[in-house]
Amino acid sequence: MSVAPGRQGVIAFFVTFCVCLVALAVALNVGWVVLTLREIVPLLVGSLVFAAIITGLILNTTFLVREIRLNEQHDAFVNAVTHELKTPVTSIRLHLETLKARGPAVDEVKRHEFYDVMLKDSDRLMHLIEQVLSAGQKGYIPFQQVRIDLKELASECITLTRSQRRLPEEALRMIDTSREPIEVIGDPDHLRGAVLNLLDNAVKYSRETVHVEVEIGKGEQDLAVVRVRDQGIGIPPNETKRIFGRFYRTPWALTQRVKGTGLGLFIVAQTAKRHGGRVSAKSEGVGRGATFTLELPSAPQVRSLV
Amino acid sequence: MSRLLIVEDEAHIASGLRFNLEADGHNVTLKDNGEAALDEIEADPSQVDLVVLDVMLPGMDGFTVAARMRAKGWLTPILMLTARGRAEDVLRGFEAGADDYLPKPFDLSILIARINALLRRHSWHIAGRGATHTPAPPPPEARDRFGFADKIVDFDAQELQVGMTKYPLTLMEANLLRYLVQHEGKAISRKNMLEDVWNLREDTDTRAIDHFIARLRKYIEKEPSRPRHVLTVRGVGYKFIANPR
Repeated sequence: MSVAPGRQGVIAFFVTFCVCLVALAVALNVGWVVLTLREIVPLLVGSLVFAAIITGLILNTTFLVREIRLNEQHDAFVNAVTHELKTPVTSIRLHLETLKARGPAVDEVKRHEFYDVMLKDSDRLMHLIEQVLSAGQKGYIPFQQVRIDLKELASECITLTRSQRRLPEEALRMIDTSREPIEVIGDPDHLRGAVLNLLDNAVKYSRETVHVEVEIGKGEQDLAVVRVRDQGIGIPPNETKRIFGRFYRTPWALTQRVKGTGLGLFIVAQTAKRHGGRVSAKSEGVGRGATFTLELPSAPQVRSLV
Repeated sequence: MSRLLIVEDEAHIASGLRFNLEADGHNVTLKDNGEAALDEIEADPSQVDLVVLDVMLPGMDGFTVAARMRAKGWLTPILMLTARGRAEDVLRGFEAGADDYLPKPFDLSILIARINALLRRHSWHIAGRGATHTPAPPPPEARDRFGFADKIVDFDAQELQVGMTKYPLTLMEANLLRYLVQHEGKAISRKNMLEDVWNLREDTDTRAIDHFIARLRKYIEKEPSRPRHVLTVRGVGYKFIANPR
């Protein structure tokens, strides 16, 4: 999240204030030490207390700055969620009111079109509610442990994303790098959610020209790997770790006005962690696309009965 | 039949609006981003009677689109739609040049009523300026004027005439001026103006009104820095004097 100019000023003020105070205190103390060099014990006690005060001051400023940043991210999140919540409600309400007010003037075809629109919007609303709830979860989360074929799961997600985003087949493709099925043990709903989030992001941040490749294969140490590569707006080099933080959105994504809540990647990272895996992002820089890699421990081989 | 331009990137809302407005006999064009909308109007500004403008658009946002339109001198009425309905957002919309503002989710009947009200005003406005392609003439009893010093305000045409020069006003500028005129000689607080002119019941950023006052002064006052008609009342707000001594 980019910090608004006003807040940036506040942060700069507190940091400068802290630096000035520390400099003043150091100057004062050095002068004092020079004046009272002969008394060893008070000098020692004084130096220790002084060190403690300076540490406290620096810690205090650090926490203050961090709180301001967090607050700012939280504001941005509330704004984004407000928009994401109100948009589907607006659409549902608009279509309901149309049906109610115009009744017979709406022909059969249109009526069914309206029903579909409203159903899609309620799905969208449900999806957001689930994201917010799952990002807010703490502690133990009920978790299934079943054998899942990642190829199957990914192709399901690809089909779903294609139909939701109305994409042609070549815009979102799967590349298969291994013959055998890639299996992991885990919760199918959570993993599906994670892969869908990655695909959704890849499409969303691609802008007009969607060209997304999904690669499923085996990585180092026998890890199962899902790699999602897009040709989109990319990620600034120093942001590839922060994007997985809760509510975090890069200033770059914000200037590009791509809508989002800052929850998707956080959820992907949580899911990966729960499955004993990890997710990482790579980008050649802004405007040059990004690659997200989800690595999960492979399921143990099933012994053949022969 | 009016020609409406809807600028909304959420496909479902856009198509729902189009259906309703076409059912009411309007001619509707949809655009899903600000740049395309500006290009559309630029092609022929007289071909658009009203713009329904969403604020959260990809690329250029709605505030910028409105401000660009006004900067180019296009006075097409703008109805802004947005998910954020806080006082500062509303005022920012009006400041950018919007004529009316509806927070999402909106009531369909209210939306349609507001659109029709804006179109009606716009048609009087065009008729008042002698254009021929809009057939609706202003009803004579509805003509609402006020004259002071060497100025005439025509509230229906949303126009201010100073000597021989005519200044077009946006709807909110006209409403604010009407409010000031109605309360001539009395000090009015910023909070009351917000409540009565903008229908906003918040006292967060009352300074936003000052931009509107500054714009009005530019039209009315000979020396905007030394106002004689729209006076600042310290600690309260503003006062309008029609005929200063």
